[in-house]
Amino acid sequence: MADKDMERYVRQMRWQLERTPLSRRGFMWASAMSATAAFLAACSGGGGAATAAPSSAAPSTAPTTAPSASEAAVESLGPEPSFEVPPDIEKELFMYNWGDYVDPNNMKQFQEVFGVDKFTYDTFDANDEMMAKFQGGATGQWDICCPTMNYVPAMRDQGFIQKYDKSRIPNIKYMDKAFMGQWWDPTDEWAVPKDWGTTGITVRTKDVKEPVTTWRQFLDLIPQYSGKVVFVNSADDVFIAPLKANGYSLNSGVKEELDKAREELLKVAPHILALDSNTYQDKIRTEEAVLGLTWTGGILDLRDKPETKDVEYIIPDDGTVFWLDTWVVLANPPHPNAAHAFINFIQEPHIQAIETETNRYATPNDAAKQFIDPKLLNDKAMFVSDDVMAKLEAQKDNSANTQRQDIWAEFNQKIGQG
Amino acid sequence: MTISTEVAKADDEGPRRSRRSALVTGLLVLPASAWYLILLVLPLLIVLVMSFGNKGRFGGYEPAFTFANYADALDPNRITPFVTSLVLALSGTFLCLLTALPIAYYIATRGGSRKSLLIVLLIVPFWTSFLIRTYAWLTILGPEGLAGFIGDVTGDSSFRILGTPWAVLLGVVYGYLPLMVFPIYVTMERMDRTLIEASKDLGATRWATFRQVTLPITATGLITGSILVFIPLMGEYVVPAILGYGRVFLIGNQLVLQFLDSRNWPQGAARAVVLILIMLVSVVFYLWFVNRGRRTRDVSVV
Repeated sequence: MADKDMERYVRQMRWQLERTPLSRRGFMWASAMSATAAFLAACSGGGGAATAAPSSAAPSTAPTTAPSASEAAVESLGPEPSFEVPPDIEKELFMYNWGDYVDPNNMKQFQEVFGVDKFTYDTFDANDEMMAKFQGGATGQWDICCPTMNYVPAMRDQGFIQKYDKSRIPNIKYMDKAFMGQWWDPTDEWAVPKDWGTTGITVRTKDVKEPVTTWRQFLDLIPQYSGKVVFVNSADDVFIAPLKANGYSLNSGVKEELDKAREELLKVAPHILALDSNTYQDKIRTEEAVLGLTWTGGILDLRDKPETKDVEYIIPDDGTVFWLDTWVVLANPPHPNAAHAFINFIQEPHIQAIETETNRYATPNDAAKQFIDPKLLNDKAMFVSDDVMAKLEAQKDNSANTQRQDIWAEFNQKIGQG
Repeated sequence: MTISTEVAKADDEGPRRSRRSALVTGLLVLPASAWYLILLVLPLLIVLVMSFGNKGRFGGYEPAFTFANYADALDPNRITPFVTSLVLALSGTFLCLLTALPIAYYIATRGGSRKSLLIVLLIVPFWTSFLIRTYAWLTILGPEGLAGFIGDVTGDSSFRILGTPWAVLLGVVYGYLPLMVFPIYVTMERMDRTLIEASKDLGATRWATFRQVTLPITATGLITGSILVFIPLMGEYVVPAILGYGRVFLIGNQLVLQFLDSRNWPQGAARAVVLILIMLVSVVFYLWFVNRGRRTRDVSVV
């Protein structure tokens, strides 16, 4: 019992020390910002090192089977995880991922337990940038990648990824069935769910007194808060507001519906302070912006600080997008066995719980939830309620629609003009 | 290979020496020309070919021959980013010139023993990434910095600097200033100081000396500096995105949008070609304009 309390305490400490203020989308110019990233990683790494990770106990040498979901559900923190180290594992692993998207201590532990001496972590900050890299011929350089699910079919069709070996990733059994067998991977052979989230409305409630519960209200309020509204710099996300406000699908490719969306977007464009994917949380923090179309990254943290506790993240009633980032094994990986071992490792419930507490995105791993701080688990901005979940719509690949691109370019030019 | 055998066959000293020197010259020029061919000419050709193509099914490029991308790039409704870029590049270059001239003049003529120190101080900012320095301006100019202070003093709480063209202008002048200072400094440093003394002896005022002696002599530095600043400014996209909050939309931002966001490489390529042409034309015009001025002045000196 005391052990359990201790572990809970340790985990909470870790959580407080380690949450990073960076958005999932990371820095736009990740390479040039690597110095800052290294600095932040060093900070968070220091915090984590001071406490013992709940699963840092040495793995038993005799390989045992991973705890099943039913066993783990027993009133305890479950048995300590043990890892089956494949005999044919390589000594290296090359990952291509969003910036700061894997808990540094988990990475360290993976290296120690699996004897992977060299773990390379390269970053991208937009799915399209990642795609452009592969289309430019950068295949065979990395083992694992982390695309958002709507990019999986295109990566599959272009031969950028290969089917994963199910026998090497037994932990896939912990996955919530809601995320399996979906359109982006109907046969569950290409992509393992990583974590998921939404795009919504951020409000400084001390400045904005009007109720904002729908995209319609949000769009109508923008002229009133002219010059104090921030949008993330992402076409797919920005299109959600005008399309959903009019009751259309956020993936709409219908000309009339997009015409309507264009009209709505151009109406609000002059009132927008910034299109900003990297520092939108700072603009909200300093009240430079009091309304925002944002992701959750960096916003959820603000609510915990006394001076910004009036920040609210709202999932609109007229529905919004849900995105799911996935682990994929790239085609012709230099280290296929290490790649599979890592994906299985990261889906170990204990390990996955640490991931969730670090990244603050909802996990699709059911068995991990019992290890996650209840405060996070009850956060409706992270783990949304079932009726909200029913209104979410999956992001699709709209990159072939030139009308959307034209509108987006026109919208970009009209920001703050007039 | 062939050259070396020919060299071995050659008997008399004269041609042999000249062939050898030709070989040495060739070897010395080889890295530069290879660099030039592989990293400049070839990519430009690829961009040119791509600009006539179609967007592939998953983005990227599909071979074709169409002028649609150029029609799109030159569509009067979509030409604004070109104009904004041109205005910003010209005013940025001019401001850089105005700021750099006194700095370079001071260091070259009054620097004395501190000359090296002053030059090093100009280089120091380059030790930090341009991006991090630009992010630093966010704090300096932001609502918790200068803009907040001015807002408090004037009582205008909505006052801001970030997200305006002024912030972008400040950012680019700050970023590109050393590119302007160095060429001007070099020409001023090499200038024959006795000419200035002669001018003064002949009764010219300080201003007349500067205008009629210093300025024409340093014109090469001014031109070099202006071109060094003007060309990257035309393609600038980081500063407007960070300090301009995306409210100042330049051709560079449009190119990023088309290559990385829409992955419509042919459309982006066509715009890039137009941008290159605009730069070529403006640089040629600029050179012609400045050289014309110099020639008449040379004649008058004679």
